[in-house]
Amino acid sequence: MRCLLMIAALFLGNAWSAPAAEVVVHLSDGRGHPVNDAVVMLMPATAAVAKSPAGPPATYIIDQHDESFIPYVQVLRPGDKVVFRNSDSTRHHVYSFAAIKTFEFVLRPGESSPALSMDQAGIAAVGCNIHDHMATYLFVSAVPAIAMSSHDGSATLGHLAAGRYTAQVWHPQLHPGHPEPIQNVTIVGDTDTVQLSFTLSLLPDPRMSMDREHLDY
Amino acid sequence: MPSMGFRLRLALFFVATLVTVQLLTAGLVYEVTRRALVAEGERQLTANAHAFVAQMDDISARIAGNVEVLSLDYALRAAIAERDRGTVLSVLRNHGRRVGASRMLLVGLDGAVEADTGDTATALTHFPFPDLIDSAYDRRTAAVVALDGKASWMVAVPIYAPQPVGLVVVSVPLDDALLAHMQQLSALPRDVELAAQSAPGHWAVVARGDRHTGLVDSLVAAHQGLPWKPLLTEVDGKEYMVLAQRLKQPKQGTSVVAVLGYSLDDALSPFRSVAIAWATLLALGLGVGLLGAWFTARSVSRPVEALAAAARRIEAGDYRTPASMQRHDEIGQLAGAFGTMTKAVHQREWHIRHQAMHDSVTDLPNRVAAEASIDQDLGDGDRTGEGALLMVGLTRLPEIIKTMGHALCDRLMRDASERMRRVAVDAYLARTSDTQFVLWLSQADQAAAVAAALRILDVLNEPYQETDVSIDRLPSVGIAMAPADGSQASTLLRHAEVAQFAASGSASGLSFYDATTDPHRPDRLSLMGDLRDALDRESLLLHYQPKLNLASQRVDGAEALLRWNHSRRGWIAPDAFIGMAEDTGNIQRVTRWVLASALAQAQKWIERGLPLHIAVNLSTRDLEDAELPARIGGLLSIHQVPADCLTVEVTERAVIGEPDTAIRILRRLAEQGVGIAIDDFGVGQSTFAYLRHLPVSELKIDQMFVKHLASDTNDRTIVRSIVDLSHRLGYRVTAEGVEDQGALDYLASIGCDHAQGYFISRALPADAFAAFATGRDGHAFAGGVQQ
Repeated sequence: MRCLLMIAALFLGNAWSAPAAEVVVHLSDGRGHPVNDAVVMLMPATAAVAKSPAGPPATYIIDQHDESFIPYVQVLRPGDKVVFRNSDSTRHHVYSFAAIKTFEFVLRPGESSPALSMDQAGIAAVGCNIHDHMATYLFVSAVPAIAMSSHDGSATLGHLAAGRYTAQVWHPQLHPGHPEPIQNVTIVGDTDTVQLSFTLSLLPDPRMSMDREHLDY
Repeated sequence: MPSMGFRLRLALFFVATLVTVQLLTAGLVYEVTRRALVAEGERQLTANAHAFVAQMDDISARIAGNVEVLSLDYALRAAIAERDRGTVLSVLRNHGRRVGASRMLLVGLDGAVEADTGDTATALTHFPFPDLIDSAYDRRTAAVVALDGKASWMVAVPIYAPQPVGLVVVSVPLDDALLAHMQQLSALPRDVELAAQSAPGHWAVVARGDRHTGLVDSLVAAHQGLPWKPLLTEVDGKEYMVLAQRLKQPKQGTSVVAVLGYSLDDALSPFRSVAIAWATLLALGLGVGLLGAWFTARSVSRPVEALAAAARRIEAGDYRTPASMQRHDEIGQLAGAFGTMTKAVHQREWHIRHQAMHDSVTDLPNRVAAEASIDQDLGDGDRTGEGALLMVGLTRLPEIIKTMGHALCDRLMRDASERMRRVAVDAYLARTSDTQFVLWLSQADQAAAVAAALRILDVLNEPYQETDVSIDRLPSVGIAMAPADGSQASTLLRHAEVAQFAASGSASGLSFYDATTDPHRPDRLSLMGDLRDALDRESLLLHYQPKLNLASQRVDGAEALLRWNHSRRGWIAPDAFIGMAEDTGNIQRVTRWVLASALAQAQKWIERGLPLHIAVNLSTRDLEDAELPARIGGLLSIHQVPADCLTVEVTERAVIGEPDTAIRILRRLAEQGVGIAIDDFGVGQSTFAYLRHLPVSELKIDQMFVKHLASDTNDRTIVRSIVDLSHRLGYRVTAEGVEDQGALDYLASIGCDHAQGYFISRALPADAFAAFATGRDGHAFAGGVQQ
């Protein structure tokens, strides 16, 4: 949480000199429920993605509590570090076969992993070989306008200049093999607030008390 | 006897009823069973189809479960994530063997086939059923697909590491072996086939159960499709209930269906033994029923037939075997009543027969019985048929009855029969009429017959004695001898009777039959028939005997005399048939004919100027006919003949026999003006005193007095006296039988009115008479000229 505040402080720090247009993205699933833990990115359609202002790399702790990774999705800037901490009383075999970062280690209760530096942009899905339902996603991206949806399903992207953008959403439970949802957004004025809505088709949450061996057909 | 006996009909009725009821029952049971089986078949098929699907789901769940376990294998996940194809293939093969899969695929998230354990020849580069993969993340996904002519069960399972990194698709072959396995495990029907749609309307069988029925082929052939609802159809000549069940399939895949069959024959097979048992029972029951019906019917019909036979025997007159049946049922009662009836009928018949054949007074056989017995004796065996028939007549019997009554007469006849029985022990005795007995002396000659007759006359001449009367019976015996007087009983009886009549007038009271003197020859009866024919055919004719008026010496009258020219016998004298005609009641017809003919002739003569007087003889019987005067009056007016030209001649006997009627008729005739002449006067019992009461106009002196008039002085005196007396009483006198000139002269000399006889002329035919009468006109009679 401290890290988040730090990032927010960074953004706020930039706000003084940046435009103040906003895009508020509302995410819901097919049944009208708000979708949280979705990553929303807004990329300028014309210009190349502007490099985010280089800040000092941050270290994020992915906790393992009650056989869950917390948080479910962690947005990282390339170069940021993550530490896996076992707060449970059981061991966790944390692994990743992701292309951007492959690792594997067994954490005893109370043990923390060494800090892993996530240098490449991409998504690393991290699981526990002991507890199949445990999963967390490290979303490494250099896109400046990036936000995660909160529990009310909205994500706000601020400090945007007028122009045409492409809004892209990612969520761990998006259907694999399907193209990611994208919308084009045009911000007319620098202080405009543009509302965007995405309806996502999501797979069941694998972290729920799901037992893959007893799925219903 | 009817063509179909009671017994047979009864038995047939029983059997037909039994068979009909059994067949109806069988038909009903079969129909009910079959319907129940069809309904059961529908239910089972539907249940089986659902069970089949559920079983497939179970199998896919098992496979999916296994694959999921596999998918969680860290090494596999690592190999997949690291794109280590060799490791992945080996793991898939290894695991494929474990779950019984024929083929295992690793499919990438984009649908590209990354690993395939199948043949390289048919290796896929892109998974052809994307919807299977799409839905695999949401839920367990399995479907039946048909590939390369084979059906298989495909289960797709995503691999998570921990995010989806690919899918493992397991292909389990749906082949005959699997179906057989499923059949073993479950109640899957033996007739099951899997078919894939090769083209619209074409189905290819890809797997079948352990019985190769050919359901799909015959269904497609017969119905051009598969039934989605239970259908009753015929496969290879057997009845099947068939249902097609679609199986879960991918969108792009070929349709695969399971076709399930329910054999009605199989379902009926348990009932077949029941049917056989039933048929056996029916046959057995039929046999027993037939036998039972036969015996029952026989127990009824046998006695009935026996009774019928007894009835036929009784009909034939055989009463000896009464229908005795030791039974206590209705037939027995009938038989008992039958026997009683037979006895009663037998007794009555005996009684009637006895009465018919016996005289009730003397209890002797009657004439009918006597004839039969005598005939039997005559024709019996080797004997020559000799014997004597004695007819015993008690001549006075009618007189005795009138005097003493029937009761005494009956006692008298009984007494007579007993007396005869005593003296003619060996004779056959019968009573043939009220007054006559018959004795038949078999093998007797004339001497024996006379001896017997005399003995009988002796005992019957003894007067019959009762308390205060003594009666003479005046017996007479006529004897007819067999075979001389007849060889038949009826002939003998008749002849004996004739003889007995003759005997009754003789002093001895005994007479043999004499054929020559028999006045009752049969030809007499035939003469009467001929007479009636003669009247109808006019073969009778009248001759006319001239009556000479002695005063004028002219023929002024004629006596009409009947002549019969018989077709076979020639001329027949009136004496030969008039008496018999009187006896047989034919005389009145004869008289009518004579009157009509005579008056017709008189009319002709009158028309020719010959006013002749006609005399017609009347019979005694004619004077009993009250219509006679009216009839004569009618005839006179028809022929326009004056009444005084007609004279009727009657004999003395006629007016004395029935005086009142006769006199009344004669008076009426006289009142009409018809002359009345008394014929044959002088030989009868009439007197002038009696004649005075009659309307007599003429007397005809019998020829007995006239014949010898020329020589006999007594006759002359008698004739003169009659003429004198008659004239004084106002009668005219005619002398009959004048045979010589002397008599004629004498008659003329004493004033007799008319004369007739051969000397004057015999009776002549009408034409000859007219000539004779005309020829004599105005001439003195020259006797014998025409003779």
